[in-house]
Amino acid sequence: MTNDLEVRNLSKTFGGFRLHDISFTLPKGYIMGLIGPNGAGKTTTIKLILNMLRRDSGQVTILGRDNVADEQRAKAEVGVVFDTNYFSGDWTAAQVEGALSGFYPNWSTRRFAGLLARFGIAPARKVKELSKGMQMKLMLACAFSYDARLLILDEPTSGLDPVSREELLQILAEYIEDGEHSVLFSTHITTDLERTADYITYLRDGELVYTGGKEEFVDMFRLVKGGREELSPRLRERVLGLRTFPTGFEGLMRTQDVGEFPGLYAEPASIHQIVVFTNKGGDFDA
Amino acid sequence: MHNTWKAARLDLALVKPYGKVICFTLLLPIAFAAINRSLLTGVSFAMCFVAMTTAYPFAVEERSDMARLYGILPVKKRELVLGRYLFVLALGVLALVVSLVVQPVVLRALGEPVVGMDLLQAAVGGGILFTLYTVFQLPGYYKFGSIKGRVFLYLPVAGFLFTLLLFPRLPLGSVSLSPVLLVGLGVVLVIVLYALSIWCSVRTMERKEL
Amino acid sequence: MKLILSNVSGIPIYQQIKQQVKAAILSGQLGEGEALPSLRTLAKDLQISVLTVTRAYTELEQEGFVKNVQGRGCFVLGRGSQRLQEHLKYRAKTCLTEGIQAGKLAGLSREDVHHLLDILWEASADDE
Repeated sequence: MTNDLEVRNLSKTFGGFRLHDISFTLPKGYIMGLIGPNGAGKTTTIKLILNMLRRDSGQVTILGRDNVADEQRAKAEVGVVFDTNYFSGDWTAAQVEGALSGFYPNWSTRRFAGLLARFGIAPARKVKELSKGMQMKLMLACAFSYDARLLILDEPTSGLDPVSREELLQILAEYIEDGEHSVLFSTHITTDLERTADYITYLRDGELVYTGGKEEFVDMFRLVKGGREELSPRLRERVLGLRTFPTGFEGLMRTQDVGEFPGLYAEPASIHQIVVFTNKGGDFDA
Repeated sequence: MHNTWKAARLDLALVKPYGKVICFTLLLPIAFAAINRSLLTGVSFAMCFVAMTTAYPFAVEERSDMARLYGILPVKKRELVLGRYLFVLALGVLALVVSLVVQPVVLRALGEPVVGMDLLQAAVGGGILFTLYTVFQLPGYYKFGSIKGRVFLYLPVAGFLFTLLLFPRLPLGSVSLSPVLLVGLGVVLVIVLYALSIWCSVRTMERKEL
Repeated sequence: MKLILSNVSGIPIYQQIKQQVKAAILSGQLGEGEALPSLRTLAKDLQISVLTVTRAYTELEQEGFVKNVQGRGCFVLGRGSQRLQEHLKYRAKTCLTEGIQAGKLAGLSREDVHHLLDILWEASADDE
């Protein structure tokens, strides 16, 4: 199995923020979710991958190429979607193609026209007149027009309505279907990743908390609930992000610890719940 | 080189919506030439105006936060900078050519004689003025951006007022340089200044984190 | 074959896929040699992780229900396959054990259970 993205011991300190020793790999043909609360270092990691920020140390390999030494050739095969579009607002969709197509040897005008039609973007529409969802799709259309093999999305769904978010997930699922394309998807709206992501990389305060399979990640924890009388000191020790209220408590527990408390109500946790509870003072290291 | 060319085309795409304004700045100096009955004044005006339009690509990219686009395009930052200079030079050459073709026609129609030496002086003078404006403007925009660096937008105006006051006092008539030397000196000056300016801009851009 | 995945059942998605594919094979709805939907196409259609489907298919293979042919896909093994036979026997054993325990709880004797089994056997023979 080849890796489309390898990040090794990546570090960067600037303006009071420190990203420390981040490593993960994304195998070809899969979707990885990059999760964590705002300020965890998701965007910094992505900008370091794209060499838009200079790393202090570490190494990044994109599609087998070093992201600094071989930057241009690597970028010719990477598509990027940011939370807001990076085109001139005065350009029409057709002018976006005119401005960008020359930079990509693989650009297909036919494919671009087909994608605009599919996404319902009129070529004569100005970028600034497009809705946020449409602007996101325009960035995708560009990436697909030069057949980018690795797609990097930085918070693409923030500010999008549920319909557009669902459409994006459908587009990504189709994108990786042939096993030749991969996706790195950063988001704090983790419900987007609940089903489609194959791998999860979880950052918090600039540190790597977890990287690996999504199912293993979700399997590591259970959501536990109970009445207040069940809340023994031992249980308190084991529960992450404990929340108590007059009629009971809830919190997160490592799956292997659940056995210690027979009769305790435990259910599978969602990625969303894991992120929420592990960010409420419940310390854990994966 | 290929990417530099494409970067220059990207700049053209950036300022396309401002095409009308730029055309206007190319044609307005004809009126000044006619009023002042002087080709040199007309060309100075033209170079001043067109140098002010070089802020457009910087302004557009800043407003649309397009640094991120430059961050993902498969080009070197040096190539982007060279492309910008190429675009700006093309704009300057266009303004100069338009001025040198149209203004003499208008002046002659008004009964003002324009001879070959006038054309040469205006061409060299215009070229040097444009160079003097832009070699400071562009590194300034790269360093500070078009909003914080808008003082550079008015640099040509200051320069223009300066030449307007200074030119009549210069004993230009008494300096009898041969046309070849005049052109030669002008070209060398332009090349040296641009080389320094480009070096500064590339350094700024390569150090910048997008 | 149809696959209906529930997000609220609490059963992991790969388990749901396994259960439904197994049910389809055991009921004969999926015949011997028939191909399962391509792994990546299924993931796309159901909008679930490729690895989730991979896990379901791998476990189905380990349990002897399907065979993965490299580059061609997953094919249903015949009910004669040794692994499947073992699996089916194992299932029969567990079900019968459960039945015996229920019988004991109900106070039935060994003969009563035998008798009950005969009746049920006859009844189910009519179904076939």
